Amino acid sequence: MKATIVKCSFGIFAFSEENALVEKVLFPKNPQNAAKTITKIESGKIVDEVARLIKLVKKKGYDKFVFENANLAKEAEKLGIATEVAKPSRAGELVRSNMERFAVETGFVKNVEEFNVWTHNVTMEIAKLRVKGAVEKRDLIIAQAIQTLDDLDKTINLFMSRVREWYGIHFPELDRLVDKHEAYARLILELGNRENFTVEALEKQDVPKSKSEQIAKTAEASMGADLAEADLKQIQSLCKDVLNLYQLRENMEKYLETAMEEVAPNVKAIVGALLGARLIAISGGLTNLARRPASTIQVLGAEKALFRALKSGARPPKHGIIFQHTYLHEAKKWQRGKIARALAGKLAIAARSDAFGGRYIGDDLKADLEKRLEEIREKYTEPPQVPEKKPQQEKKWRKNKRAHKR
Amino acid sequence: MHISVKPHPQFPAIYQVTLEDGAQRLATRNLTPGRNVYGERLIRFEGVEYRVWDAFRSKLAAAINKNLKTVPIKPNHTVLYLGAASGTTASHVSDIVGEKGRVYCVEFASRAIRELVNNVCAYRVNMLPILEDARFPEKYAVFVSGKVDDIYCDIAQPEQAKVLADNADLFLKKHGWIMLAVKSQSIDVTKEPSEVYKQETKVLKNRGFDIEEIVHLEPYDKAHAMIVARFY
Ligand SMILES: C[S@@+](CC[C@H](N)C(=O)[O-])C[C@H]1O[C@@H](n2cnc3c(N)ncnc32)[C@H](O)[C@@H]1O
Repeated sequence: MKATIVKCSFGIFAFSEENALVEKVLFPKNPQNAAKTITKIESGKIVDEVARLIKLVKKKGYDKFVFENANLAKEAEKLGIATEVAKPSRAGELVRSNMERFAVETGFVKNVEEFNVWTHNVTMEIAKLRVKGAVEKRDLIIAQAIQTLDDLDKTINLFMSRVREWYGIHFPELDRLVDKHEAYARLILELGNRENFTVEALEKQDVPKSKSEQIAKTAEASMGADLAEADLKQIQSLCKDVLNLYQLRENMEKYLETAMEEVAPNVKAIVGALLGARLIAISGGLTNLARRPASTIQVLGAEKALFRALKSGARPPKHGIIFQHTYLHEAKKWQRGKIARALAGKLAIAARSDAFGGRYIGDDLKADLEKRLEEIREKYTEPPQVPEKKPQQEKKWRKNKRAHKR
Repeated sequence: MHISVKPHPQFPAIYQVTLEDGAQRLATRNLTPGRNVYGERLIRFEGVEYRVWDAFRSKLAAAINKNLKTVPIKPNHTVLYLGAASGTTASHVSDIVGEKGRVYCVEFASRAIRELVNNVCAYRVNMLPILEDARFPEKYAVFVSGKVDDIYCDIAQPEQAKVLADNADLFLKKHGWIMLAVKSQSIDVTKEPSEVYKQETKVLKNRGFDIEEIVHLEPYDKAHAMIVARFY
């Protein structure tokens, strides 16, 4: 005979296949304990209450157990119990649609009012349990994800320079004609030999018409060597893997969008999910980022240049990793210092309210920042009289960026 | 000028306040006298305490100010609130439904829910905090007893309409109502706002909703709209 096990906020229950109540184990009437028990059951632990219920039901001749929670079913299986998973189960739906009545009928509470208070208290306790330690760990997961993303970029760049050199033996001119790595890899995978680079074939791959014509013409006149089928296959298989890495990268980016919305929505509102995640990673966590003054946030990621400046008395770097923000790299050079300061100031406020339980103020912060940017742009339209010396750091960033875009 | 409070001509449990300087504001009757939630002003009038409802902080208030015709959330209702954050709007919803009503507050950011739990739900028995992801409604089904009258959704995420419809399938009464705050930027930055609203309403229609109305929330919120729809 089959019994379905259903968990509620006040106990766990076993139902027959006809949805009649077979056995019940009520939780002690203490919201804190109940919250702990429920949380444990959810994570798949066979707590005392569950063990007791299973024993009682077995005695009545039931030998198969249906669970709504797959984790729990797995654990029960380990104890040599035959299980099934149904989510949601009919019995479960029945209970949930009449929860108040059920609570009164099983004698857990005297009336509906008492039940409402109970549910309120239990959900409060569960939420409190979850809040404990939740943020701190999630931000470290984000730090790992953004580092994975950066690793992916490096790997992709590495493989793609190999692909370009390798395929370049056959069709060297293509390197200059197709800048984007992803497009380059896709063309080789889809078209293969340069003979196949016809206008129609290229247009089918979403290459714009004039570009297609240019590529096709160059292919015909190419100076490259011929390529054996077997050699081409190897290059194509590498291209395929690179395209998979792009897919992985895209997923990681989407994941980071959601995760940042959850963990640091204020920081995300100001600098976007990726740069925000990078700042968290460099700081070793959200709380660490939030403890930093704006002046430090401004140069995060430029530590080497900063220390050099401190030692030699040279001009300190104006900005670190936040330079990746479009506000900065699109700004006029002489405005950058001021913009970086404004951006870092807002970031500091955002990080604090994310880390220390503040509200969502991202939209307001962003509006303020944009106003300030407008002021800076208007006030400092002309470069200052004495030309500034370019700090080392800045040059380095630009170089990196160019390499990356390719 | 003296402060005066009068009931909203259309919506039960919502009030209109005229401040000292003649400015008009919305308000709800404070379920927890003496206590505010997000720094909003408390006002006493004829022995009753009201909380001024800031339309720049709450999209529901903004929508009402923008002449929303239907506010389905009423006294004694049970409301499922997705994306409760730290409770700014949810606390006014709690005021409206009153002691006999109930508000299930789903929020997945522990940072936001901390405040919701300690500063809001702790004092409001009709508000239940649920720290879960709205995309997985089965996970909190144990705490929602019976079906709800209304679902309010403000999660600022892609696929909001789908998430809302999934929750409606599980929890919403037949003929129940939904309110969906659409932030156009969070769905697809490349599209024009009105394009996004159209797309979201299409999803709702396909999932069995009749669109009642859409109001834009400018100037209270840029690129935001409130969609009100009914479930069939
Ligand atoms: C714009 S805020 C809501 C503000 C709130 N409605 C008010 O007016 O007071 C959006 C909230 O939805 C939450 N959220 C986003 N996606 C969610 C999801 N999938 N499940 C639960 N909460 C989510 C965010 O953490 C954020 O707190």
